[in-house]
Amino acid sequence: MKKIALFLGIAVMLFNCSPDKPKTQEEYPENNEVQSEPVPAANLMDPGKGIGSVKSVTLNTPLEQDRVKRGNAIYEMKCSACHKLNTDRLVGPGWNGITKRRRPEWIMNMVTNVDVMLDKDAEAQKLLELCLTRMPNQNVSIGDARDVLEFMRQNDGEK
Amino acid sequence: MKNSLHVISRITVAICAIALTSAYFTPLWQILMWAPQYPEGLEMKIWINNLTGNVKIISALNHYIGMHTIEVSMFPEFKYMIYCVGVLILIGLLAALINKRWALLAFVIVLCSAGLALLIDFYMWGYEYGHNLNPDAPIKVPGMTYQPPVIGTKQLLNFTAFSGPDVGGWIFIVVVLTSFGALVAEQFFMKRKTI
Amino acid sequence: MKLNKIISTATALGVAAVLFSSCKPQGPQAVTTSGAAEKVYVAPGKYDEFYNIVSGGFNGQMSIYGLPSGRLFRIIPVFSVFPENGYGFSEESKAMLNTSHGFIPWDDLHHIALSQTNGEHDGRWAFCNANNTPRVGRIDMKTFRTVEILELPNSAGNHSSPFITENSEYVVAGTRFSVPLGENKDVPISSYKKNFTGTISLISVDPKDGNMKIAFQLLTPGIDFDLARAGKGPSHGWFFFSCYNTEQAHTLLEVNASQRDKDFILAVNWKKAEEYIKQGKGKKVSNLKYAHNSLDEKTGVATSEMLNEVLQLDIAELKDLAYFIPCPKSPHGCDTDPSGEYIVASGKLAATLPVFSFAKIQKAIADKTFDGDYSGIPIIKYEAALHGEVQKPGLGPLHTEFDGNGNAYTSFFVSSEIVKWEVKSLKVLDRVPTYYSIGHLSVPGGPTKKPYGKYVIAYNKITKDRYLPTGPELAQSAQLYSIDGDKMQLLLDFPTVGEPHYGEAIPASMIMPNTQKIYKIEENQHAYAAKGEKYTKVERKGNQVHVYMTAIRSHLTPDNIEGVKLGDEVYFHVTNLEQDWDVPHGFAIKAANTAELLIMPGETQTLKWKPQEVGVFPFYCTDFCSALHQEMQGYIRVSGASSNVPLTFSTGKVEAEPSGK
Repeated sequence: MKKIALFLGIAVMLFNCSPDKPKTQEEYPENNEVQSEPVPAANLMDPGKGIGSVKSVTLNTPLEQDRVKRGNAIYEMKCSACHKLNTDRLVGPGWNGITKRRRPEWIMNMVTNVDVMLDKDAEAQKLLELCLTRMPNQNVSIGDARDVLEFMRQNDGEK
Repeated sequence: MKNSLHVISRITVAICAIALTSAYFTPLWQILMWAPQYPEGLEMKIWINNLTGNVKIISALNHYIGMHTIEVSMFPEFKYMIYCVGVLILIGLLAALINKRWALLAFVIVLCSAGLALLIDFYMWGYEYGHNLNPDAPIKVPGMTYQPPVIGTKQLLNFTAFSGPDVGGWIFIVVVLTSFGALVAEQFFMKRKTI
Repeated sequence: MKLNKIISTATALGVAAVLFSSCKPQGPQAVTTSGAAEKVYVAPGKYDEFYNIVSGGFNGQMSIYGLPSGRLFRIIPVFSVFPENGYGFSEESKAMLNTSHGFIPWDDLHHIALSQTNGEHDGRWAFCNANNTPRVGRIDMKTFRTVEILELPNSAGNHSSPFITENSEYVVAGTRFSVPLGENKDVPISSYKKNFTGTISLISVDPKDGNMKIAFQLLTPGIDFDLARAGKGPSHGWFFFSCYNTEQAHTLLEVNASQRDKDFILAVNWKKAEEYIKQGKGKKVSNLKYAHNSLDEKTGVATSEMLNEVLQLDIAELKDLAYFIPCPKSPHGCDTDPSGEYIVASGKLAATLPVFSFAKIQKAIADKTFDGDYSGIPIIKYEAALHGEVQKPGLGPLHTEFDGNGNAYTSFFVSSEIVKWEVKSLKVLDRVPTYYSIGHLSVPGGPTKKPYGKYVIAYNKITKDRYLPTGPELAQSAQLYSIDGDKMQLLLDFPTVGEPHYGEAIPASMIMPNTQKIYKIEENQHAYAAKGEKYTKVERKGNQVHVYMTAIRSHLTPDNIEGVKLGDEVYFHVTNLEQDWDVPHGFAIKAANTAELLIMPGETQTLKWKPQEVGVFPFYCTDFCSALHQEMQGYIRVSGASSNVPLTFSTGKVEAEPSGK
């Protein structure tokens, strides 16, 4: 049932009607935490960072090699089923060049807060229209997402 | 013609006698039972020589409290009831044929005593059925007996039991009352004639 | 004129007849209560207040309902296979149903016992009994999965089970059938009195992980144990069992086991038994065979070990261990009240409801107020143990539950009602009909020291006209009553699956926050897990082909497999790579003679498939997972036994030349 709802939800989004989850007819404010949560003004002011708890990321050069290693392992376990490391799109877009296209905060918010991003972030929604499959929440912690980011940077040729 | 019946009485008696033949194709008596878990009720219909309805279910339930299984063979009455009713019909038709007031009187008396005998017989069967319990019964409620009512309603443990006439029984009652009415009417006709 | 008279008389008679026949009493009418709908309405998006954990009876499963709505949320397979999620079919779960008699796909699950700490629910585990092939199962309330099943040796008909002590020290298992034990079991059935023995197993529960172990077994005279409850508070340390067939009949028990005016309640001092065990008085019996199956939560794989020893104590040989208390006619329910002082025993054929006092029982034991013995076990005088009898309570009393205000609620099968009465004064306060012929009943927290009260649920044995009919076989019927006021009020009728016997209800707040949403893929230690598509592969080991497969929205990897030959056994080890709640993937392959797999996020499950003919066989995801669920499919090619098609596998690879011929 839930899945049908999800399917319908995606269908609705495809037609650009409303990015919101299907609502019940009656209002139960306490159950609509996600919807009733006001979007922080900062995020609206700074759309390139996406929506989520990651506000700013400090990138170091050279790359933190232990993070790269962990990030690679997480990639293989949780991401590689849908993302290739070149530019080819499999289920989701290939990762090559991603750190050049997106801000690090956006990437980490997309990984750690994917449901809200797909519901509210215009860039994320564009990707959904392209790929047709909602990126699943893979239960990646902020720290793990940071490791994945480091791995992406390496994939993009940074040293 | 002295003591001969009024034509209406005569026809009435004949009709009554013929109406009694309904006893062969309608149930005479019914026992209905309800319990919390039998809201739709259970029924047992007594015919002139047979029992129908939920007899098996009733027996299955009653065996818990030690009552005997109800079977057609339990009732020797079934063997001769068909003849008894035949005799009643014959007497009725004879009364109409004889066309005498005493014949009508005889018919009414025989009819009434047959009805009464049946009720007494039914009471005696019920008494035996409700009191003579299997001492090995799983459920024994001290001091409790389960005699079904002759006519009317009675609470027996979780069952509400009703006993009363069925179609054939009602026809019999109507026959008794009508022929008795004819007898009374004859008194009235006689008075008119003598005046 | 006269004709008119006759006609009018006849008419009058006819009318009288109709009037008379309409005086016939009507059948009982269903009571509808106003305001009931509001009390059971759980608005869309809202949650129920209680979890109702209910036995499934002859479906061998446990079902989870919400209260007050009566909605069914889940069926947890325990003692029966469940093709819906592969339980009993998948390689991981098969061992759960192993017994000393081999794999058994079905059983009859009667009673539920929720784990307790200090006499109150702690929301950790639910225990249940298998009545037919005696076993006790444990369900983890975080995952709602069967995690352990322990077989009971020397047992037949594990009905008096799995009642639990106030700190979950023990779960009990008393035998409904006595049977011959020991070396010579090949004896005439008619030698019952001489050769048949009953047993009561006390299964210890590890306070940390819940693991079950038979601590010791009590040998008893050859009678039938029906139900039981542990003491609590002052009576903690005791167990009370209802016993029937003290006539020791072995045939037509309906009659032959109903002859005595009184059967017994067996009071067992299990603390004393513990002492005897410590003193080394337990007799080790080691020629046994019984299975202990448990699910390793790290690998998700169930394993079965065969055990062969138990310690036994004979209650007739050892002093101060057990006492019989006479109880009218075939007692069924045997329930201790929240204070632990009163024990309500329901002689199901009796006209009164006796309530025993624990203090009086203790005094009677101290004063030796005995009335002889039964098979060497002292019988306490009925009057000496009795607190009092509830007079004319109803017909066919079965079970009693309690609220927190000193009231008891007893189910009456024959008169089909629940009767509320006050435990201390034994006064009947209220009665309501049930639809129809109630068996067990349940008050949330009813068997604990602190019942939550609020509702009583009737689990009925007869359904009849309560729902739209579905042929000869009907849904079972349950009713929910409010017990907040002085008068019990019928709120809801709801159908139940299987044949619910006992059920317990627990506040949602004790279960919901702990519910596990996914299995962490990092922690998956399944030997055949592919934790990432990089690790997918197909391996041949002799005639076994192991497919390490992953599933994620919306593809299976690998989805093209070749090189399998007739005579091979193919093991599909499917790992669900998802890490989000409520995204299971299913897996099914054409012509599998098992069932589907239903793989939760982060988990690995294995389907064994033995192809019977050459060809290309499709497999697909059976659980609608995404917009592209229908695309989540693949093929496996099966070649002849002597074929030399190489073992290959891929996903998303398009070749110019097809391999093989």
